[in-house]
Amino acid sequence: MTSTAPSETASTPLLAVRDLVHQFHTTAGVVQAVSGVSFDVYPGETLGVVGETGSGKSTLARSVLQAPRPTSGSVLFRGTDLARLRGTRLLAARRHLQMVFQDPFGSLDPKWTVRALVSEPLIAYRTGDRGARRQRVDEVLELVGLDPSAHGGRHPRELSGGQAQRVAIARALALSPSLIVCDEPVSSLDVLIQAQVLNLFERLRAELSLSYLFIAHDLALVKQVSDRVAVMYLGKLCEVGPGDLVYREPLHPYTRALLDSIPSTDPAAARRATTIRGELPSPIHPPSGCRFRTRCPRAAERCAAEEPQMRELAAGHSVACHFPLAAPGAGTDEAVAVARTTARSEEKVGETPR
Amino acid sequence: MPSGNAGPYERAPDERAGPVSESLLEVQDLKVTFTGGGRTLRAVDGVSYSAYAGQTLAIVGESGSGKTVSCRAIMGLLPPTATITGSARFAGAQLIGLTDDQLRRHRGADVAMVFQDPTRSLNPTMRIGPQIAEAVRTHRPVSKRQARQEAVDLLRLVRIPLAERRYLEYPHQLSGGMRQRVMIAIALAGRPRLLIADEATTALDVTTQAQIMELLLELQSELDMALMLISHDLALAASYADEVIVMYAGKIVEHAPASRLFSRVRMPYTQALLEAIPRLERPAHSPLPVIGGRPPDLSALPAGCSFAPRCRCAADDCRAAEPPLTEHEPGHRWACWHPVEGGAA
Amino acid sequence: MAASLPDLLVTAEAGRTRQPRAHAAAGWVRALRLWLPAGFLILMLGACFLWPQVYPVPNPVRGSVLYAGLPPLSPGHIFGTDPVGNDVFSRILYGGQVSFEVGFAVTAIGLVVGGLLGMSAGYWGGAVDAIISRVLDVLIAFPALVLALAIAEGLGPSEVHVIWALSVFSIPATGRIARSATLELREQTFMLAARLSGTKGWRVLVRHVIPNIVPQLTTFSLLGFGVVIILEGALSYLGLGIPLPEASWGSMIAQGQQSLTASPDLVLIPSAFLFATVVSLNLLGDALRERWAV
Repeated sequence: MTSTAPSETASTPLLAVRDLVHQFHTTAGVVQAVSGVSFDVYPGETLGVVGETGSGKSTLARSVLQAPRPTSGSVLFRGTDLARLRGTRLLAARRHLQMVFQDPFGSLDPKWTVRALVSEPLIAYRTGDRGARRQRVDEVLELVGLDPSAHGGRHPRELSGGQAQRVAIARALALSPSLIVCDEPVSSLDVLIQAQVLNLFERLRAELSLSYLFIAHDLALVKQVSDRVAVMYLGKLCEVGPGDLVYREPLHPYTRALLDSIPSTDPAAARRATTIRGELPSPIHPPSGCRFRTRCPRAAERCAAEEPQMRELAAGHSVACHFPLAAPGAGTDEAVAVARTTARSEEKVGETPR
Repeated sequence: MPSGNAGPYERAPDERAGPVSESLLEVQDLKVTFTGGGRTLRAVDGVSYSAYAGQTLAIVGESGSGKTVSCRAIMGLLPPTATITGSARFAGAQLIGLTDDQLRRHRGADVAMVFQDPTRSLNPTMRIGPQIAEAVRTHRPVSKRQARQEAVDLLRLVRIPLAERRYLEYPHQLSGGMRQRVMIAIALAGRPRLLIADEATTALDVTTQAQIMELLLELQSELDMALMLISHDLALAASYADEVIVMYAGKIVEHAPASRLFSRVRMPYTQALLEAIPRLERPAHSPLPVIGGRPPDLSALPAGCSFAPRCRCAADDCRAAEPPLTEHEPGHRWACWHPVEGGAA
Repeated sequence: MAASLPDLLVTAEAGRTRQPRAHAAAGWVRALRLWLPAGFLILMLGACFLWPQVYPVPNPVRGSVLYAGLPPLSPGHIFGTDPVGNDVFSRILYGGQVSFEVGFAVTAIGLVVGGLLGMSAGYWGGAVDAIISRVLDVLIAFPALVLALAIAEGLGPSEVHVIWALSVFSIPATGRIARSATLELREQTFMLAARLSGTKGWRVLVRHVIPNIVPQLTTFSLLGFGVVIILEGALSYLGLGIPLPEASWGSMIAQGQQSLTASPDLVLIPSAFLFATVVSLNLLGDALRERWAV
């Protein structure tokens, strides 16, 4: 199963996802974008999910929200399984669960004003009369650092990227949710604006006791905002654990590879060799056993035969790997050596995995 | 497989502080303005730098800084509404002011560019092999068979395995990283001396980015090219470039060897950028030091330093007069009246 | 490979516009492209509908044979008279009324019925889409003129029948545009965001889909308006549309053909008005499309 509860929160998870599977039918075949993922998010914590292209992290976000519904698995939010609800009952249950998207302009109807956009959830859930709604809109706009009188009547095209994302956040906050799913919310923003919006996320988290499911492809970013981090690859979770531990003592070779690939601004840091080789396998025919084995410098026969299960190796730190990295450093050198020699035999790389 | 220098993964500090070979590209006081709707936008406002063979120069800035516009000006890829003045010499030959026909001779053969989105630059209805072969034949009068062979060689050069087989594939059959390698192969078809990578890895995953960057550096030393990296990613520049230029509002604000820039940053803007990047070493939930405001309106730049409205250290002299870009320390230039004493970033 | 205007304009304009204008076509030229055709159409509408109310014009159908065959610029008959004595100018005005009425009715029916059907098909998808698309396909397969012929033969020619016949063509045409515009819209994140905010289906359709497809539908309808006017003209020319002696530009052209060599103005004048009106509609549609970047 997944990690145990962090010390500062209650023991019942706010969100408990079990064996979530999401399948797509494409002309080329069936793709399992999310392939049996389980995790918990506790009240007041931020769980970061990091993954690259094809990891399924965005599909995961939408499946949790039932838009569209997952193929199978359960999503327990505040005790109710969202996957089993329909219509108004789903609407009611989903009230405390909101989402912020990657493209701030794409997620705002260009024909609506800021005020209309932020009041939409209030109208849909019929909260209060017009006066109360207006007050709430003003309140929430101020929370995200926008002046209601200046920005309320504007259209998205009159806003900058950072401001538009703030509007999206304000809309998500309107109904006082307990959990916000953030799907790459700062990826399309410039570095300085990104920092501003991240600080906003933190401030709101502290002030409103929010929980986040924060999804991004940037590990440093995810670690910055999260209490716990989950690493995803090709539809499955590789490693879950407290952010610091995952960074300092990664257990999964893919996590290690991600860490090594991140360019550092420290001029004294020697640039490590990339410990990953090859290309992402086709999601229609993922490798047998461990999906990462075709690119893993530590892969052995067992990896092809048997799929590794998620095991808790340290307090709150779990990994799905037959040969996890034991301690910091030890795995790295070995991995580098293996990578250097095996990377030379190009014929192996790019071969269709079976 | 050659891997270039003895230790490609380690950089001795200040190893490549000065020019080691002849300068391939010399840009002097380049200015680009756009006129439209009654307004004049000063996109690039007097930029000068040089690129040398065997060296990697990174130009870093946010959107609107002018980094992309300045490179496209050199390549002649700007719309007719742009007015370009100044000088950009490639191996002595002036590139500014040439007609499209004249520039075409330089493009690909002397200077080649790789862009951000390979999906849009590759013809989706044509197999990748012939696209590379076509690029080869644009620059050299070779037979079709010869071009095909060279295309396959280029695929191998960019480390695409099973090159013969991949030759026949369509772009949509390749991953993003592969497509970018194909773009690099096309760019190299003319055997350019200078390769400009314009946000070439921005759209790629971090692991793929690392692979592509490694490839670029290996190719640079194999082919003795000059490499220019245009990016918004300061960390990328720190890790892979020898020299770094930071641009803001159309001007160069800091220019130094990578090792020195990041260990002894001087310009408050550069410092702000560095501080705003999420760092693995930082504890979770720590607030990021951030400056407010937005980049200035390029058609109405403030008098004095363009960064003054947002700068922590701004004083009256900053708002009064624009600080010139001067080499205050050997190899390290900055444009600031009150530089910070930056320690290790 | 040429770069489009860099997105530096985005940051430069302090968040005012997101889409940079493509080229420096001077502002007044663009305004002219919109207001010239719009102005002409407004003028035509005013002339056809308001002028006869305000300023007496000779009766378009009860002309006196005494004044038959007068050339243009005759006193009291600025465009002359036709072979049976009707004043051409007033027939132009009343014929224009018919053109606009038919054009407006057919376009409106197309927008409302076709638009609704197309939007529903695009938004709900699945079985709804399948059924509606088949219905639209069947409708569009009918050749409009043949249908008009059948109706005219069966029920007798009249303005209302012309409207019915042409609506069979405008409903599926608009419907398909509405459907594809809705399909494209459905992929946008803000649609998902609206649903996640709790907004119910039909409300999403009304508050989100309609405002966003209006530009596309409007420009399409303007172009369609022109086509409808021509079709009405054609039908009337064939005798299947507005029955004589009612005025219609099409039937005026047909009549005028008989005395083409003697008085070519009887053909030229209604043709000129027909041409000018349709071209103005097209130009207006283009100008709006450019302005709304559809």
